[in-house]
Amino acid sequence: MNYVDLFTKSQPNPSLFGGKGSNLIKLIKFGFNVPSGFIINTNAYVKFVKSSQLKHQIHQTLSEDYNPKDVIQFSQKIKNLFLKSPIPQEIVEEISRHHQNLCKESGRNSPYSVRSSANIEDSKNFSFAGQAESFLNNKTLEEILTSIKNCWISLFSPQALFYFLQIKKTEVSFSLNKLKMAVVIQKMINSDTSGVLFTANVINNDLNQMLINSSWGLGETIANNLIIPDLIILNKQNFQILKRIIGKKGKKSIPNPEGSSTILVETKLELRNKCSVNESQLRHLYNLGLQIESKFSYPQDIEWAIENEIIYILQSRPITTLIEK
Amino acid sequence: MEKIGEGLSCSTKTEVTGELVYVQTIEDVISLFDNATGKICIVDDAGITTLSPILSELSGTVCTTGSAGSHLAIVSREFGIPNIMGINFFSDDIASLNGKKGKIVHDGEDKGILYLL
Repeated sequence: MNYVDLFTKSQPNPSLFGGKGSNLIKLIKFGFNVPSGFIINTNAYVKFVKSSQLKHQIHQTLSEDYNPKDVIQFSQKIKNLFLKSPIPQEIVEEISRHHQNLCKESGRNSPYSVRSSANIEDSKNFSFAGQAESFLNNKTLEEILTSIKNCWISLFSPQALFYFLQIKKTEVSFSLNKLKMAVVIQKMINSDTSGVLFTANVINNDLNQMLINSSWGLGETIANNLIIPDLIILNKQNFQILKRIIGKKGKKSIPNPEGSSTILVETKLELRNKCSVNESQLRHLYNLGLQIESKFSYPQDIEWAIENEIIYILQSRPITTLIEK
Repeated sequence: MEKIGEGLSCSTKTEVTGELVYVQTIEDVISLFDNATGKICIVDDAGITTLSPILSELSGTVCTTGSAGSHLAIVSREFGIPNIMGINFFSDDIASLNGKKGKIVHDGEDKGILYLL
């Protein structure tokens, strides 16, 4: 039984790698520039839960129809159980080996991102956007291990539990028991600019347009509603810029210069009024968007980051909300 | 009808009317648990409190930051809730809007407008 898989040596498999992990493997196979790394697969999560005898306790705490009022308390209870239980040694050893190998390429204490990849995510109906957590700028093995556990825990965060309640209301067949979490470990990109690219206009459902949100620094400011990012709308047929609205971009997320994790800093005044993507970068993003959409045969919600003029693709998932016209 | 703010309409283009509630903390969200139906929730960056617990009961979501790519916009679209992101309020006193009746209107392109009724 193995618990860790390299991107480059794996086949897409949502049940083993979760939605994000599986899509990243596809992106690499298609030849896109994805930061290198490895995946802690769902076997590790299952082994951890089993060896800590958590399954029964999770079951007990969350009966099939848990009450919204109890969610915060239940979530905290499950979190405490997870925190108390150690990660099985064989899993730690395998992670450590892969981490050491990756460090040989990028240097000791080079930073890594640790990102949740649940097996519910990134399907065509529900994106699970923002419900599970990611942890950026991890510098040591210990920090990576802590963040991995925190990703597992975020499967039972209050937000996630509420999201599941809502999914059940729409009568999509869904069971908490089938939920598993893989975790993606990647070389951290210290983005000058980050953003999302939708290969359809999600505001007006126009499939002949693309929509880009972009901002300075790391992309979590856009995902987590922390700032007003730049908005650009492109004609998908000919790259014509149909609309460009400069957002205030008042804050920027950067790696903590004094340690791990990230901090928010004020954006310099002169950068607030400047568009965070230039025309050349937009053109590259546009071309990438067309290529990725074509490979996945469906409009995509693509997360990207630019560091030193190199564009990295951090995620791609189907746009879940297009109304077929 | 008084126009009180304007931003990006990032979800379903239905006009909705509802009681405005300014949500800033998880306690605000909890107090809305059985009480969220028909409400239009306003959140800002300082709040970052997830509306997930009550989202499916709400008539609308309004955020002073963010855009189409933000999680709140994505989830509002998934649950079919009309939304305005990056709203610019014409007055600073958002808290004074609590309990008042508001209306979200879409301009046919991408603007979302919030009116006080």
